Amino acid sequence: MTKRFILHGTVACAMAFTAAVAWADPAEINPNVTEIKPGDSVEVARLPDNIYLRTQDDPDDIIWDRLPTYRTELFPAPPVHPSVKLRFDEGAERSKHLYFQVARTSERFYVRMHWKDASQDSATTVDSFRDGVAIQYALNGADTSYMMGSGPEKPVNIWYWRADDEQQVENLAAGGYGSTSSLDAQNVTGIGSYYPESVAQDSEWRVVMSRPLASEGEHEVSFDQAQVPVAFAVWQGSDNERDGNKRVTHTWIMLDTGVDDESSS
Amino acid sequence: MAVKRQLSMVLDLNKCIGCHTCTAACKLMWTNRNGREFMYWNNVESQPGLGYPRDYQNMGGGFDADGALRLGRQPSQEDYGIPWEYNYQEALMTGTDPWLRPHVKPTWGANWDEDQGEGDYPNSYYFYLPRLCNHCDNPACLAACSRNAIYKRQEDGIVLVDQERCRGYRYCVNACPYKKVYFNEQISKSEKCIFCYPRIEKGLPTACAQQCVGRIRWIGYRDDEQGPIHLLVEKYKVALPLHAEWGTQPNVFYVPPMSPSKYAADGRALDEQRIPLEYLESLFGPRTGEVLDTLERERQVKAEGGDSELMDTLIGFKHAEMFKLS
Repeated sequence: MTKRFILHGTVACAMAFTAAVAWADPAEINPNVTEIKPGDSVEVARLPDNIYLRTQDDPDDIIWDRLPTYRTELFPAPPVHPSVKLRFDEGAERSKHLYFQVARTSERFYVRMHWKDASQDSATTVDSFRDGVAIQYALNGADTSYMMGSGPEKPVNIWYWRADDEQQVENLAAGGYGSTSSLDAQNVTGIGSYYPESVAQDSEWRVVMSRPLASEGEHEVSFDQAQVPVAFAVWQGSDNERDGNKRVTHTWIMLDTGVDDESSS
Repeated sequence: MAVKRQLSMVLDLNKCIGCHTCTAACKLMWTNRNGREFMYWNNVESQPGLGYPRDYQNMGGGFDADGALRLGRQPSQEDYGIPWEYNYQEALMTGTDPWLRPHVKPTWGANWDEDQGEGDYPNSYYFYLPRLCNHCDNPACLAACSRNAIYKRQEDGIVLVDQERCRGYRYCVNACPYKKVYFNEQISKSEKCIFCYPRIEKGLPTACAQQCVGRIRWIGYRDDEQGPIHLLVEKYKVALPLHAEWGTQPNVFYVPPMSPSKYAADGRALDEQRIPLEYLESLFGPRTGEVLDTLERERQVKAEGGDSELMDTLIGFKHAEMFKLS
């Protein structure tokens, strides 16, 4: 009887382990993190007005330990330009996990992202490319292409954090490949920090970007709607990633802003 | 790429003395500051040699036989050469440092292999090859840019990088087989030879051509049948593009260098040019031999007191005839 129990237990363990390996790196399995697939919805956490953020975009603020964390898998973006295609290995499946948290106060909207990166690439030089992360919002519904939007009718707004500059965040808009442009209103702020670990693979970037809730101009995402489609991208400077050489969410994740709830209550 | 008119340059390698005045003129005008210190929009390299950036001829880029972009490698800072500066102030003025020395250890630079060439005495050889952006008909840099930041001007075919659109992705740097687009770290954007367009627009030749001591450069429009470019490229067909096989259709042409005869072991002059024809053909293509024959023939005519329109043009009597900018 005992023998049989042990046997069953071992098999169960082995099966559980195999299953886990199949969908994620076992080192990254964390029961407190919810796995999100494109198409899923995520609720934007609401920070009560009596919570005071010491530094606006502090990527290590204690508040982030109290908010739900989501994880999603980013895959190489399909190449849309010959220059990118030349560097694309067919069927590339090198994925990367991005952890994200979304929150709002009564005034600002915050996104926090963290991901593992064995090397801190914070210089843009002749010999090197920088790390970066971006969050993309569809401005006109989820039938917009997640690949930089679908023309001027269905554009996207992009917040791009780059690891190398003093002014680290760019507020961009695009309506199709090659059309990414800088917006007049640069009202997105952000701070990123690199946390090195003794095991290089465990080192990570933590980045917070935020913007006042009220949008300026037609190419800025409005948070005054029930659902906002978002996608993420990560660039690994050490892999010479830039432009379309990146890992992205394929199609949209929906953010539930809670706006409708508020208006009905 | 069809443009209304195309400016073009011809360089006679038989006249280049390797003085680098063109490079100095270009550098003083455009690249001695603001993150461009390592760039030579115009450079003069000794060939055979590794060139600038180091070994650029083996870095790929350009187009394949089907017209598709070929993968190119990005030159490293070391391939360009890390610019160094001397401690003039400390060593020569205040005397606080007994040694005049560079601030980084120089390990490579443009012209590191200057005048080395190939072959053994008395059959050693080399020649100078001044290089600038070719302002190609089919620019690989333009094709490679995913931002549409590179454009070719309709009025003169000059290829430029729109500094507003450029986001520093460096596909152009990889794609140009001549490695004539450079990444500026200070502004995180790519920059290249602009064919001195602010001078061209005032009817002046480029700085490199104006300052050329050997008077080796002609500038004009391809379609100007009275101009020097038409005469050298179309009429006498003595000017050839560098590495036409890379598929970019350059608008800078070279009159290939003739060379003295090779010597036999007993000191006899052989009926063979010192610079191997196969080597020149690897740079300027299969018509090189034919061009060298034309030059030889016309030079002989002139030497015998005859008239040679080609030789008179190549002598370059007047700047006004060498630069036809209208």
